[in-house]
Amino acid sequence: MIVAIDQNLCTGCRECAQVCPVCAIEGEQGKPQVIQTERCVMCGQCIQKCKSYVSLLDHGNDAYDRIRKERNLPDSVQEPLFAAYSVCSLDKVRTALKDGCTFTVVQCAPAVRVAIGEEFGEELGTLTPGKLAAALRKLGFDRVYDTNFPADVTIMEEGTELIDRVNKGGVLPMFTSCCPAWVKFLENNYPELKDHLSSAKSPQQIGGAIFKTYGAELDQRKASEIYSVSVMPCTCKAYECDRPEMKDSGYRDVDAAITTRELAWLIKEAQIDWNALREEEFDQPFGMYTGAGAIFGVTGGVMEAAIRTGYELVTGESIPQVDVTSVRGTEGFRTALIEVGDLKLKVGIVTGLKHVIPVLEAVRAGTLDLHFIEVMTCPQGCVSGGGQPKLLMDTFSEEAYRARREAIFDHDRELTYRKSHENPAVKKLYEEFLEAPNSHLAHHLLHTTYCND
Amino acid sequence: MMKKELGSFVIGDGRRCTGCKACELACFMVHNQKSNHVGMTVGTVGVPVVPRLYLTRFEQGCMPIQCKHCEDAPCLNVCSKGAISRIEHQVVVDEQLCIGCKDCMQACPFGAITLLPYAKDGCLVPQSGSSETKVFAAKCDLCKDIPQGPACVNACPHQALRLVDPEAEREEKNIKAANALFYMKNW
Repeated sequence: MIVAIDQNLCTGCRECAQVCPVCAIEGEQGKPQVIQTERCVMCGQCIQKCKSYVSLLDHGNDAYDRIRKERNLPDSVQEPLFAAYSVCSLDKVRTALKDGCTFTVVQCAPAVRVAIGEEFGEELGTLTPGKLAAALRKLGFDRVYDTNFPADVTIMEEGTELIDRVNKGGVLPMFTSCCPAWVKFLENNYPELKDHLSSAKSPQQIGGAIFKTYGAELDQRKASEIYSVSVMPCTCKAYECDRPEMKDSGYRDVDAAITTRELAWLIKEAQIDWNALREEEFDQPFGMYTGAGAIFGVTGGVMEAAIRTGYELVTGESIPQVDVTSVRGTEGFRTALIEVGDLKLKVGIVTGLKHVIPVLEAVRAGTLDLHFIEVMTCPQGCVSGGGQPKLLMDTFSEEAYRARREAIFDHDRELTYRKSHENPAVKKLYEEFLEAPNSHLAHHLLHTTYCND
Repeated sequence: MMKKELGSFVIGDGRRCTGCKACELACFMVHNQKSNHVGMTVGTVGVPVVPRLYLTRFEQGCMPIQCKHCEDAPCLNVCSKGAISRIEHQVVVDEQLCIGCKDCMQACPFGAITLLPYAKDGCLVPQSGSSETKVFAAKCDLCKDIPQGPACVNACPHQALRLVDPEAEREEKNIKAANALFYMKNW
């Protein structure tokens, strides 16, 4: 189990049950709560919500050290510990980093760079890609790559798949598949709609499969020597990388997924002075990314990225406005009509998993007239993920989400390339290795199937 | 005008409180932003969480208990080190002067004071002449130095905490009573 509630610490306030999108938290008011694991999608919103901390008064002087040890957290962790928590996977990452024979590769998701600075006292939503790269290199990773690169690849694969479905009368609407909690929710509750999910893997898994194949070739390494870590704003990504089918490189495509908070612990444990770090670049070629990859971290971002590329693939012309503002916003479900040449593309965006239920019901009833729907489990997409820095007061949430979201859009605007298909490293990947989006090899490595249990 | 001659205090409502401890955490945060570099996220905390109000469980449920800022304050009267004083209307502890003698703890009829570890600049402060951690009388100071007023009131997701202005509330009740009496015809 990745997300858990400590029965000795839970006060039974049931605040977590209010934010759980799948009603997986059960228990009487005032009594410790239990997570129903078969319903839980591991989104970690309960972890973000819980305020029931290990207290000197309630639990005694020795409780903190004991619980920190039980949870396998670094001894350097001094921050409050709470009843709801996620299982710490730093041990295996540390072992890989220490082992001289292992070639360690790391990728970090778009939302990590707009939040991790908060753990070191920076303002909410401070954009720190350079410090993030520098810290990962100081920790000893042999290659510091970026999930924004495979996010660009996701757009090539998923966009091509969508165009194909639209042109050839495939299953529509097509849903995005980047968010593992959403995928698990559909698999658990609406398995008959599984063909509506894009077969493209999430950026994390696309990155994992590329690093151990094409990446291994470029570095002249055996895939078996590579240990691949991802840093995610998400607690569910650890579940995704452990899914049995995620081994198309011939090995575990991603060996360990850690959260933004866990990376901050690792940085503190290594006594790296975050505030004194000089900015560095990500390693090439998988550190090359566009603004389209960067905006995956906010609700509507995958949709916007797909439209920027889809428009040009369909019409052969440049999109008149790179900023597709009609798909931005924070409402739980919103729709937009995008004119792509002669095609009137009808799209929907869901953020906050509970908003997807009426959408799924309408799809099941055949009454939803949309081509493409983005779904993200967390309240405003990955910037508000369950593995992100936890706010001390809920009253900061809106400001934190706003600041992180704006930082992502600022980053998008400042990048040289803003459309996935213009990413030179993506072009090269297809020229040298994959041949074309949705090619046989691309299908083998970068696409998946659902409901395999 | 008598207004504000009586000190304000925060009071909890056991019928609304769910026991989530958001109030305790918010209290700790605002009192440690400057002194212990606590930011807005959990990762910026490097010292034990020391609140100044105390979530209390009782048979019917739970609610936070905190200082009433008594007018004839037993804690202030009993403190032999002069560590407790009245600043404007609030009863406030000087953490540096406090020696942890527990007299105030004993004197408070509400249990609104306890002794908790004292930290400064992100580190626990040792006692003079010992390696043990210095403790201080932790009690509500009504967020006297904090711009947005009592943090616990703002943080509570169920409005189970309220800042009471006793004289204003009494006047309000007077007016309600006057209205009621004015329309009562059969006396």
